[in-house]
Amino acid sequence: MSRPFVITALALYALAGFAPIVAMALRVDLSDLETLLDERTLGLLGRTVMLGGGASTIAVLLGAPFGFLVARTNVPGARVLRPVALVALILPPLFVAITWSALTNLRGAPAAIGILGLHTFPIVAFFTATAFDRIDAGRQEAAQLAGGLRAVLRMELPLVLPAILCGACLAFLFAINDFATPDYISSVGTKFNVYADEVFANYQLQESTGRAVASSLPLVALSLLMLVPALLLRRRGALATVGGNFKRPAPLRLGAWRAPALLFCVAVVTVGSLIPIGRLLYEAGIPGRQAIQAGNDLAGGLSSPSQVPVGSWSLSSLQSAFSVALERTRTDLGNSLIYSVSAGLIAVPIALVLGHLCQRARGGRLLEILFALPMAVPAILFGIGNIAVWNNAVTADFYDSGGLVVMLEVGRFLIFPLLLVTGAVASLSPRLEEAARMAGVPAWKRLTHVVGPTVLPSLLAGWALVFVLAMRELDAAILVPSANHTIIFRVFNQIHFGRDDAVAALCLLVVFFLLLPGLLWSFFGRRRTEVMP
Amino acid sequence: MSVAVQLRAASVAVGSKTILGPLDLEVQKGEHLVVIGPSGCGKTTLLRLIAGLARPAGGSVAIGGQTVSEGARLLVPAEKRGIGMLFQDGALWPHMTCAKTLEFVLHHAGIPRAEHAGRVGELLELVELQGFDKRKPGTMSGGEAQRLALARALACNPELILLDEPLGPLDAGLRSSMLARIDEIQRERDLTLIHVTHDPAESEAYTDRTLVMEAGRIRSDLPSEPPSR
Repeated sequence: MSRPFVITALALYALAGFAPIVAMALRVDLSDLETLLDERTLGLLGRTVMLGGGASTIAVLLGAPFGFLVARTNVPGARVLRPVALVALILPPLFVAITWSALTNLRGAPAAIGILGLHTFPIVAFFTATAFDRIDAGRQEAAQLAGGLRAVLRMELPLVLPAILCGACLAFLFAINDFATPDYISSVGTKFNVYADEVFANYQLQESTGRAVASSLPLVALSLLMLVPALLLRRRGALATVGGNFKRPAPLRLGAWRAPALLFCVAVVTVGSLIPIGRLLYEAGIPGRQAIQAGNDLAGGLSSPSQVPVGSWSLSSLQSAFSVALERTRTDLGNSLIYSVSAGLIAVPIALVLGHLCQRARGGRLLEILFALPMAVPAILFGIGNIAVWNNAVTADFYDSGGLVVMLEVGRFLIFPLLLVTGAVASLSPRLEEAARMAGVPAWKRLTHVVGPTVLPSLLAGWALVFVLAMRELDAAILVPSANHTIIFRVFNQIHFGRDDAVAALCLLVVFFLLLPGLLWSFFGRRRTEVMP
Repeated sequence: MSVAVQLRAASVAVGSKTILGPLDLEVQKGEHLVVIGPSGCGKTTLLRLIAGLARPAGGSVAIGGQTVSEGARLLVPAEKRGIGMLFQDGALWPHMTCAKTLEFVLHHAGIPRAEHAGRVGELLELVELQGFDKRKPGTMSGGEAQRLALARALACNPELILLDEPLGPLDAGLRSSMLARIDEIQRERDLTLIHVTHDPAESEAYTDRTLVMEAGRIRSDLPSEPPSR
C-alpha cells in the first residue's frame, strides 16, 4: 500500500466528505434536540419511512424479476433491455414526476412512492442480474441433476438474495434522500412533506443549522440501518458466487412464458423511461405552454378536447424550443459540464486508492462502512454542512466559486466509484500485485500500472456515475449559492415558475448529456464493465 | 558451497494459530530443492515466507547471508529481496504485452532504457517466445503464458527462484519440456530453485533434494537419487 497516496486520498475525502458532517454535528446544542421526538418529527419520520419502504418495495417487485429475466432466461432482446432499464435510474426523478403528474391524476404519497419506485427499480434489477451472472454453469447443472428446475431455483435464490436485499436497501436510501420529487408532488397536489423538504424549509425559514441537523437525526439513524446491511450483504453476495474456472450457464428456456416475460420487461422500461422522455418530446414540440396546460387539465379531470385546445406538434416548434432553451441556459449548461467532468476526474483517483485499501487492507470492511457515511447523511443536510464549513471570511472566494460545487459533488458521490473499485479489486487475483512486488515495483506504481489498468472499466464506469449524479445534483446543492448557476437548478426553477416548451427542451438537453457517457460506452467500449458484485 | 536461504525457527501464524513451523531449513546456492506434501501442509506458505509475501510470526529468515526477517519484523520487503517467483496461475498482467511486461520489470531492476529492447529479445529467446513481443497473455496458450512468467521471473537476474506449482495447469508433455528448460537455465545461471509441487515424479529427474512437509512442519528432508542430467 502506497502510504503517501493513501494519506493524500484520505485527506481529500476527509475534506470533501467528512468536514461537512463534522461541521454540522458541532452546531447542534441540547436545545435543538427538544423537538427530536415530538409528534411532528415522528410524523415526518413515518412519512419518510413510508416513502422509502414503498419505493423500495416497488423497486424489488419490478427489479428482481426484470434482473432475473434479462440475465438468466431467453427473453428476447435481453441485451438491449438490460442497459435501457438503466435510463430510468439516470433520468432525474423530477422529470419523471412532471411528466407522470401531467399524464395522470395521481398525487400525494402514492405519486411520490410510485415515481421513486420506478426511478430506483434499475438498482435492484442491476444487482439481481449481476448476481445471476456470477452463478457458475457447474453449480446450476449440479442442481438440475439433483432435482430439475425447482432445485435450480432453490439453489440460486439464496445466492442472489443478498444482492436483491442490497439493491432494496440502496433503493430505500435513494428514495428518502430525494428532495425534488416530494417537493414537486406537493406543489401540484396534496402536500406530502418528508424529511428532505422539511429540513430544506426549516433551514430556509429559520437558518438554524442546529435545528435542521437535529430534526434529521432519526433519518441518519434510519439510513445507517439500511446502509450497513447493504454493504455487508454486497460483500456476502460477491463471496458466495465467485468461482475459479467460471463458465456461464445456458439461458433458461421460458417456453410459453417468453411473450409475457418480454411484455413485462418492455412495459417496465416504457413506464420508467420511454414515456417520460416521449412526453417531454411532445411538450417541447408544441409552442408555449399549451401542452403543459392541457396535461394539467387532463390530470385534473378536464378531458374534453374543446376545453383543452392544443396546437399541433411540429419539428420546427421542437427546433425552436431547443434554440430558446440553449440560448437561455448556455452558461449554466457549460458550468454543469465543467463541474461534473471535474468531480468525476477528482473522485476516480481517490476511489482507486481508497477502494483498493478497503479490499486489501486489514479491517477493509469497516473502512468501507466508514467511507460510506456521507451516503447516510441526508443530501440536503450535506449541503448545509458545506455551507457551515466554507461560508466564512477566509474561504469566501472558494465559497462563491464553482470549486465548492465540485467539492460537494466529490464528497457526496465518491462512494459510488469506490464501491465499483472494491468490487473490481475483489475479483482481481492478489498474485498480480505480488508478482509486481517480487519484480521490485514500488507500491504506488503497482497501483497505477498493475491495478489501475486492470480495473480500468470500473474506473470509467465510476467516472460516468459521478458525472451523471453530479449533472443532476440538486438535493444537496440547492442551498449553495454557487450551484445556482447549473443547468439542473435552472430546470428546477423553471419547472416551478414558468414551465413551457423550452423547459421541456431543456429537460431533454439534460437527459441527452446524462445518457451521453452510456451512449459513448456502447459505441466505443469494447470490454464489458466490471461492476459491483 | 554458500548458503542461499536459511530459516531458523521460522514460523507463520494466522491469528493465534501457527500454520507453519517453527522450522529450520538451509538451501545451498545452486541447489534445486523440491517441496512436496498434501494440500494445506504449508508448502506455499513456506515460499511466501521466503519471498516476504507472508508476515513471519517468529524466528529468522536469511537470503544470501543477509537477514531479511527477524521475529515478526520484515527487515527487507519483498520488492527488495531480488527473488524471482513463478505463481501457480502465472499472475501475468493482462493489459501488458510480453515486451511491455519484461520492460516493466527491467525498468524497476534499474536497467537503462537503452538496453531494454536487447534484453527483452534475449529473455524471450531464452524461453523460446521469439516473435511474441506484441502478444498479450489473453492470446497465449497455458504453456506460452508460463514461459512468459519464467522470463519475467528471470528478468531482474535473481539468484533465487521460487516456483509455486507453476506447471500444474499444463499437460504432461508441456510440463516435462518446461522443466527441462528450467533445469537448463538453472545450470547456465547457477540459480537456486525452490520448487513446490504436488507431483514429485514430475521433477525427480532434476532435483537435488526433496523436502516432505506435513501440517506446517518438515517430515523428511532427503537428498534425491543421483540426477539423470
